[in-house]
Amino acid sequence: MDDIKRLLMLGVLGSLLILSMAYAYAENQTINQPLTLRILSEKTLSGTAGDFATVKAQINNSGLQPLNDITTYISLVDESNKMPVDLEDWSAEKGLFIGTIDAGQALPLNWKIHFVKAGKYSLIIVAEITGQEIPQVSGIVHFTVNSKRNLNPGQVLPVALGTPIVVLFIMLLLNYKRNSSKSS
Amino acid sequence: MYTWKGTLWLVISSLTFSLISYLLLTDKELSLLDQTEMMWMLAKVIISIGLLIVSIDASSIISNEFEKETAESLFLSPIKMKDFVSGKLLASLTLWLLIFIVSIPYILVTSAGTKLFFPFFYYVFLLGSLGVFGFIMLIFAISLLFRSSKNTLTTSLVVLLALFIPSLFSTTLKNNSFALALGKVNPVDNIFSSLDNVLVDYQTSLFHNGQFILPLALFCLITLMFLVYATKRFKQAGVVKNG
Repeated sequence: MDDIKRLLMLGVLGSLLILSMAYAYAENQTINQPLTLRILSEKTLSGTAGDFATVKAQINNSGLQPLNDITTYISLVDESNKMPVDLEDWSAEKGLFIGTIDAGQALPLNWKIHFVKAGKYSLIIVAEITGQEIPQVSGIVHFTVNSKRNLNPGQVLPVALGTPIVVLFIMLLLNYKRNSSKSS
Repeated sequence: MYTWKGTLWLVISSLTFSLISYLLLTDKELSLLDQTEMMWMLAKVIISIGLLIVSIDASSIISNEFEKETAESLFLSPIKMKDFVSGKLLASLTLWLLIFIVSIPYILVTSAGTKLFFPFFYYVFLLGSLGVFGFIMLIFAISLLFRSSKNTLTTSLVVLLALFIPSLFSTTLKNNSFALALGKVNPVDNIFSSLDNVLVDYQTSLFHNGQFILPLALFCLITLMFLVYATKRFKQAGVVKNG
């Protein structure tokens, strides 16, 4: 009986050991990634709708091996609507590809974005490394795009009123000339 | 253009441009739009109004000669068919040119404060002229085949409407492979996409817009060939049909 108990105890201990090793390995995979991403322009990112801004970031390989085939891209979320933003009009370059980043090397990443709509947004940068299941993500940067009113009644009113009046005047003048030439 | 009808079209187009630009620049909700979006909207309105008015006018310009029975006396004079058609073509193009001239103050006021006045100005003129030129030739060909302004007008408006419908589709619908293929050959889609490229994406060079201008030029070439075919059919049938 004692032998069976010992065997069972050993079995339980062995299972626990295997489980803890697997957990430690998985944790190591997610936390100790050599690649880090940092958004540098978090303080300068706010603006007015219609403005252009540059998202400056840095990708750093702190590992001992070079890393290949990394695709980085920006992801934007409209915080008011709780919806991701379709980047069609916001950024001409959605993704940046890095062929190789050497060990210890840091590379700059720049995206030119166009503030299309007013609102509160959050931005992150994601890096996908070929062959790795888990992507690397930067910290979240929150920014505000202020609304821009293009009200200019001082300029548009004379044009909106004046042009039809001028065209109408020309029409009446031509009509008058035609009638007078007919009668003569 | 010397007729009251011709100048009335100009008054109607200037009133439409006034309404649109005034709404865009004074309405509190619409004024939240980016200025380039406003310019894009106005550019689309200018070309759409131009296409619609010129299509209506061109539908009757040749057919009227048959309906008012002036065609017989006209063709008794030593006039070549080519001169007759090109004269009518120039008259219709003049109407587009005048609509464009009327739109210039609106282009100026909407693009105030941006560096996009010249691209806005010459792309509306270039794309509008190509589109209008192609449509006039298509309508003239239909006119010569039908010889009835009512039938020509109905057919032209149906064609114009059919070409405008895809531009009302949402972005998701436009990403469909069939819609994408249709968009590549649709002249109206090419005009609007090129305006988007110039005014919203700032791709102002002709090189960046070649993908839209070339299909438009091809559309003009196809309609020219159709017009040549219709002219030959017209000559074979004679001025007085079945006569």
